[in-house]
Amino acid sequence: MNQPVLHVSHLDKVYGKKNENQYHALKDVNFDIQSGEFVGIMGPSGAGKTTLLNVISTLDQSTSGTIEIAGTNITAMKQNQLADFRSEQLGFIFQDFNLLENLTVYENIALPLSLKGVPSKDIKPNVLKVASKLGIQEIIDKYPVTISGGQKQRVAAARALVHEPAMVLADEPTGALDSKNAKSLMETLVHLNENHHTSIMLVTHDPLSASYCQRILFIQDGQLYKEIHRDTTRNSFHQEILDVLAEFATPNELD
Amino acid sequence: MLVKLTISSMRKMFKDYLVLLFGLTISIAIFYMFQTLAQNKAFIESNAMISSVVFIFHVGSVILGFITIFYIFYATSFIQTLRQKEMAMYMTLGAKKGKITQLMFFETFFIGVISLVVGIFLGIGLAVGIAELFMWQLDFQGEGFKAIYPSSILTTVIFYIVLFLLTSLVNAWQIGRKNVLDLLKAEQKQDIVKTNGIKTFIGALLAIILIGIGYYAMTEIEKLQQFGVILATVTIIPGTYFIFISLLPYVVKKLKQNRRLNETGINSFTLGQLRFRMLHLTQVLGTVAMLIALGLGAMTAGISFYHNIETQSSMYHANDVVIHQPTEEDLQTLKEMTITEQHAYSYKINDNGIYYLKQDLVENAPEVKAYDAEFELPKTKRVNEPLPAARYSLNGEEGTEELPENWWTAISTELNTSYNMFGSLPVYVLNAEEYQKVEADEQSVILVQVDDFMNYLSQFETINDNQTELAETYLRKPVENNGGKYGNYLAFKSIASGTIFMGLFLGVAFLMMMASVLMFKLLSSAGADVHRYHMLRKIGVRRSLLKRSIYRELFLLFLFPALVGLVHVIVGMQMFSFIIIEPYTKIWIPISIFFVIYGIYYLITVHLYKRIVLPKEV
Ligand SMILES: Nc1ncnc2c1ncn2[C@@H]1O[C@H](COP(=O)(O)OP(=O)(O)O)[C@@H](O)[C@H]1O
Ligand SMILES: [Mg+2]
Repeated sequence: MNQPVLHVSHLDKVYGKKNENQYHALKDVNFDIQSGEFVGIMGPSGAGKTTLLNVISTLDQSTSGTIEIAGTNITAMKQNQLADFRSEQLGFIFQDFNLLENLTVYENIALPLSLKGVPSKDIKPNVLKVASKLGIQEIIDKYPVTISGGQKQRVAAARALVHEPAMVLADEPTGALDSKNAKSLMETLVHLNENHHTSIMLVTHDPLSASYCQRILFIQDGQLYKEIHRDTTRNSFHQEILDVLAEFATPNELD
Repeated sequence: MLVKLTISSMRKMFKDYLVLLFGLTISIAIFYMFQTLAQNKAFIESNAMISSVVFIFHVGSVILGFITIFYIFYATSFIQTLRQKEMAMYMTLGAKKGKITQLMFFETFFIGVISLVVGIFLGIGLAVGIAELFMWQLDFQGEGFKAIYPSSILTTVIFYIVLFLLTSLVNAWQIGRKNVLDLLKAEQKQDIVKTNGIKTFIGALLAIILIGIGYYAMTEIEKLQQFGVILATVTIIPGTYFIFISLLPYVVKKLKQNRRLNETGINSFTLGQLRFRMLHLTQVLGTVAMLIALGLGAMTAGISFYHNIETQSSMYHANDVVIHQPTEEDLQTLKEMTITEQHAYSYKINDNGIYYLKQDLVENAPEVKAYDAEFELPKTKRVNEPLPAARYSLNGEEGTEELPENWWTAISTELNTSYNMFGSLPVYVLNAEEYQKVEADEQSVILVQVDDFMNYLSQFETINDNQTELAETYLRKPVENNGGKYGNYLAFKSIASGTIFMGLFLGVAFLMMMASVLMFKLLSSAGADVHRYHMLRKIGVRRSLLKRSIYRELFLLFLFPALVGLVHVIVGMQMFSFIIIEPYTKIWIPISIFFVIYGIYYLITVHLYKRIVLPKEV
């Protein structure tokens, strides 16, 4: 079990071309995520969280360094290989749900499977299975516009999980949800992680959401700043997170 | 400062503005092209077979004008959705509403003026290109047609400036009326399409029934007459709309329910897009289908009439060519044809008249076109009226009897012993005795029927030239048409081809306009699709697959109205089957013209659409 699902070493990301305005968004980032781990990425706005997630998810290209997901080095891949890799190995949950409004909930969840070429007869049982895991069986034939934000995010989660990816990447999944729905989504993610051993990497700036993780990496100005593990209750972990975040603010205020 | 902001943001949204500019330019170009012909009264009147053509052009102008107004309406709503968010942002930053309104006004107007200039140049190019193409195809001189026609330029400029002014005002007013929140939220509006299963089913059924009745009326037009035309109109128009409102969405829905199909690759997305877009575009698709049917119908009918000219020109001649006093060249030319009937007749000609030998005529009685009853086309018949008297004349000269009707036709029409050939000499038919007395050299005339008139046009031209030369020696003045079948054919063709030229021009203008409306409407909703394609890319859909989905979706959206319009035309041609012998012989010509125009639009649309929606690869 303890084989890394994600291995990141000496990762650098520079925005902008050589002779333009350059911005060093990630500087020498190194970390691993073990299979079945639930890891949170935190940091102030502009720290490079989304950049890190985009680079890991192959949506954006790193400037240097290596990223291995499930043993595959993705930094050397071509466009089509990357697309295939995403569709097979990764699942995404975004802040703004990113559901396709012209497809029903069922079709939205089924899409990653059809894209992988799973035969139609195997799709339905898979979709229904993941839908029941996330408690959205009742709305399966509805269109996204007719369901609530919390339900939408569950659908997005179902879509991210249906093809059993090596890792689920979530960027501020609770950002557009009220606290009740946010809590319920986080509990679902924990459930998936614990009972189905789904590896999850969660980007968030919400300490409460982050407190559901087992481990949290803090980044600031594109660099890993600190790492904390949860070995106590969620409440005390929450407090620990708040303390670290308070540390962030202090040096900045001195500038 | 605001102006600077606007210019910089316009630069950023260049590709969206490119779509707008492109759409407007095309609309202006087509409008102008149409006006070059519509306003050229002298050309229309001198080339039209029927006076109603002028009227048709006026109606065409009005319809095109209306389409244009809709077009501009789409265009401005497109520009509005592009700019709303930004305008709202300026407002939150504290820019005054009046300033924003003003800005919006100038922006719309500015784009209008640019497209007006480019559009008129493009329109001149189109007018030249299309006119040349058809004139060449129809072998039609088209004198008096001018691609650069000042009054058309003026009309186009005024029409569009007024339209731009109005729409800029409306646009600015609408932006000015909304508050900031409305504008900010504008983009978040979701497109919900409610469909009701039973209603859809009834609509689909209605579409089939109405179209069925309409098609029946068109095929049975001979029986139903005018009632048939009315019945077809009132059933096919609503039927067409029902096809797009219910039948096609129903079909797509059924397709989507086929899980095997829907759950293969990206099909569910493509079909989902298609279904939603069809539900949003029902009116546009229906209208496009109807106007495609009209435009294509005009072209098809025109081309069928063109190929009917031969039939018309043989209406008065049973024989294909008559050769007075054949030259060596004429005789050689005759050898190149497959002759089915040939007779030679003797006659004498002097300053007092033309004298045929009766015996020759009676022994080899020619065929003529004879009228059996009024209001019916003449039928071919061999002359068999007896000629007992010694002297006959064409017009009852003194001391002669007048020729019986069919003989009269034979001499004046088939043998072309007419004013056009010999001037106003009296024409006699004499028995051998009387004929002997005439003091003149004996001449001969050959009357020929061939297997297929249209096969020997160049031979007929040679013979016709020689005959014209001969006619000029008798008439002592230039002769334009010596009156034979070939001469008639040419005359018919020159008149008909003018009308047909206009029909084609009109048809093409309509098709281009309709296809561009469809293109524009599709592109103007592309903005809402951007995030869908971005999302698909994120979950790992290959770019090639995204492209394929776009090609397919747009293909089907273009295909449906085209198909419906095409079937309307093919069935509609039945209405002409009693005027035109074979209405379907050359139908491939207008259909290919149509598919070329339409195909170009399709490819342009796909290209622009891809530019808008496809995410940039890193
Ligand atoms: N495409 C881009 N081009 C240039 N700079 C960018 C781009 N995307 C993000 N940045 C910059 O990189 C930094 C990190 O951004 P991001 O990863 O989005 O931060 P966050 O931690 O808030 O998600 C920010 O300062 C941002 O301005
Ligand atoms: Mg972010």
